[in-house]
Amino acid sequence: MEKAIIALAAAIAIGATSLATAWAQSRIGSAGAGTLSEKPELSGTIIIMMAIPETMVILGFVVATMILLMLK
Amino acid sequence: MILKMAKIAIAGPKGLLQDVLALLQELNTFQIEPCTAGIMEKVDEGSIRRFLIDESSLAERLYLENIRAGIDELFSYLPQLPFRTSYIAPLAIIDVIAKALPRHIATSKELRAHGEELQKELAGLRQHALFLDTLVPLLAVDGQAKELDFIGLEIKNASVIEHLRGLLSSLTDNRFELASTASPDNKTVVLITIDQSLSEKVRTALGSEHIPELEFPSSLSGLSLPAKIAYARKRLADLSSEIKGIDDQLRVFASRWLPIYQKVLDWVNDRVVLLKATASVFETRMCFFVHGWMPAADVAGVRKKLGQAFTGKVVLEEKEVREEDLDLVPVALRNPPYFQPFEIFARLLPLPKYSSFDPTLFIGIFFPVFTGMILGDAGYGMILMAASLFAARGFRKNNNIRDAARILFVSSIHTTLFGILYGEYFGDLGHLLFGLEPVWLERRTSILPMLYLAVTVGAFHVLLGLVLGLVSACRKKAKAGIACKILNLLAVVGIIAIVVSLFDIFPDLLTRPVIIAVLLLLPFLVFTGGLLGPLELIKNIGSIISYARIMAIGLTSVFLAYVANAFAGMTGNIVVGIIVAILLHAVNMVLGVFSPAIHTLRLHYVEFFSKFLEQGGKRFEPFKKTVKGE
Repeated sequence: MEKAIIALAAAIAIGATSLATAWAQSRIGSAGAGTLSEKPELSGTIIIMMAIPETMVILGFVVATMILLMLK
Repeated sequence: MILKMAKIAIAGPKGLLQDVLALLQELNTFQIEPCTAGIMEKVDEGSIRRFLIDESSLAERLYLENIRAGIDELFSYLPQLPFRTSYIAPLAIIDVIAKALPRHIATSKELRAHGEELQKELAGLRQHALFLDTLVPLLAVDGQAKELDFIGLEIKNASVIEHLRGLLSSLTDNRFELASTASPDNKTVVLITIDQSLSEKVRTALGSEHIPELEFPSSLSGLSLPAKIAYARKRLADLSSEIKGIDDQLRVFASRWLPIYQKVLDWVNDRVVLLKATASVFETRMCFFVHGWMPAADVAGVRKKLGQAFTGKVVLEEKEVREEDLDLVPVALRNPPYFQPFEIFARLLPLPKYSSFDPTLFIGIFFPVFTGMILGDAGYGMILMAASLFAARGFRKNNNIRDAARILFVSSIHTTLFGILYGEYFGDLGHLLFGLEPVWLERRTSILPMLYLAVTVGAFHVLLGLVLGLVSACRKKAKAGIACKILNLLAVVGIIAIVVSLFDIFPDLLTRPVIIAVLLLLPFLVFTGGLLGPLELIKNIGSIISYARIMAIGLTSVFLAYVANAFAGMTGNIVVGIIVAILLHAVNMVLGVFSPAIHTLRLHYVEFFSKFLEQGGKRFEPFKKTVKGE
């Protein structure tokens, strides 16, 4: 039971942050596509913008890893 | 790095102004500052006024601008041909050119207009010729009787034909012939043959049914259909030869005159730029005075050249760059060859201010290291090294690809080195085949040590950014900024010390005093940085933790490589296994190039540069000739 709760906690940590990142990237992606159609020279900036929300999922991944490795 | 700039004032007798400006234009190292704010002393403002251009200079400028507009118009009528460089002296022929130009414009314009008219006619006729050619086989059957009339139609939908047949049948009591065929442009061409006495009636009925008869150009009107076909064929041949003749005339004219006009245009452009520059010059009763910026390293050379050219009559003085000037100083970046390819990443950002730092240097140092830490596979590294060498050789003339290949080469060296440290050669293939072991740590099993390493690298990087921010504030002598940066730096170091104490590296005895010290720093952060001061501290800690992506993305790359090998093994066939492994490793390698590159750049742009980089610098644009080497 304890193992299941630990696994669930890790899954929530990575799952919730993945959804949040996906939602943020979908918004940035559509805005970025619109921007690029008018200003293609901003492609570099848009790529960076797209990468910014990934912090959330990376932190989620770190937390999930720590939950799994430290609580087992 | 950002070139050191010198604030320069040049003064001399008014009569030498044009010559001095011409020399400065030739030297291509001096940016004229049209604004006096921060440069002219208050006491001098009464005796110095903006240079008033004399009547002859104004007339010359208008004359040259007219010639320039004329040459631009002439070029718009001429074909774009590669042409030789002319060595004729433009000044000697400028008056002749000014006289000949209107005539040349008129001739070229007329030829171009006539050519365009013929092109238009040719295009129209080609469309109708297509139709007429389709009718020829139909006409062979019906074209014998002289009392017959022919109506040509071009319809998009072939199903209309049946409706048309019914209509004609009722109108002519079945005294008609209808033939149809598909034209090469996917339409259906219909030829209706009727008695001439019925033609008016049929045409009216077709009009009321909104089936338009094909209209021919005016040149074909009044001719019978067979005559139209013959005429169209002849006219097409004539038009093509006429157009070729006009093109040849324009080509001959262009090859003869383009080099001369281009030479004159370059000279006129330089001269107009020079005359316009006088608007940024100031004068006293006897002297002219021009101020601006040039790289400090060029000052001695320019002073010497002015001395030689004007025998000491023109003076160049280097002035002190004061704090209030820092926002005015233009920025020029010049980097050693190793760092130059990394300028493509720096160009994604706005230009830094003169008092700030060139981001290229930091990207050049840290980008390959971080990319290598993330990808970290000796096998991938060597393949990428070979690919980068191939790209650099194959695309020597394309600067962007060449620069990207150089960056990839440096990054692949780091990838190989970290791959050896991690013991990764296409994942665990090196270990499975040759028993190769990691020199330092195995990433797949050492997740927490890799996390600590990544965050430690982040702490070092962010602290470096904070120190550079402090240096930048010191350069600007902004006291509140300096205090805020120092407090932030101390608080971050304190928090790092507290975290480190959890791992028994830092003595436990000191943990409590450090916590108290960090808490005491918080009110001072509010005093110096406002309410955003403590927020800045939290942002800095967040920035450090963000470097955990080095471990996280690296780990995904490791697992993908292991999965590629495991899948290959599961196929049970050596050939299929090799193909599967190559495909999966190729996918991982492509991901391994883009993902670390994007995240490394993000770490620089968002986490690192935000600590010290001040953007919004003005680009250094020296006063120069439009064509180099003139």
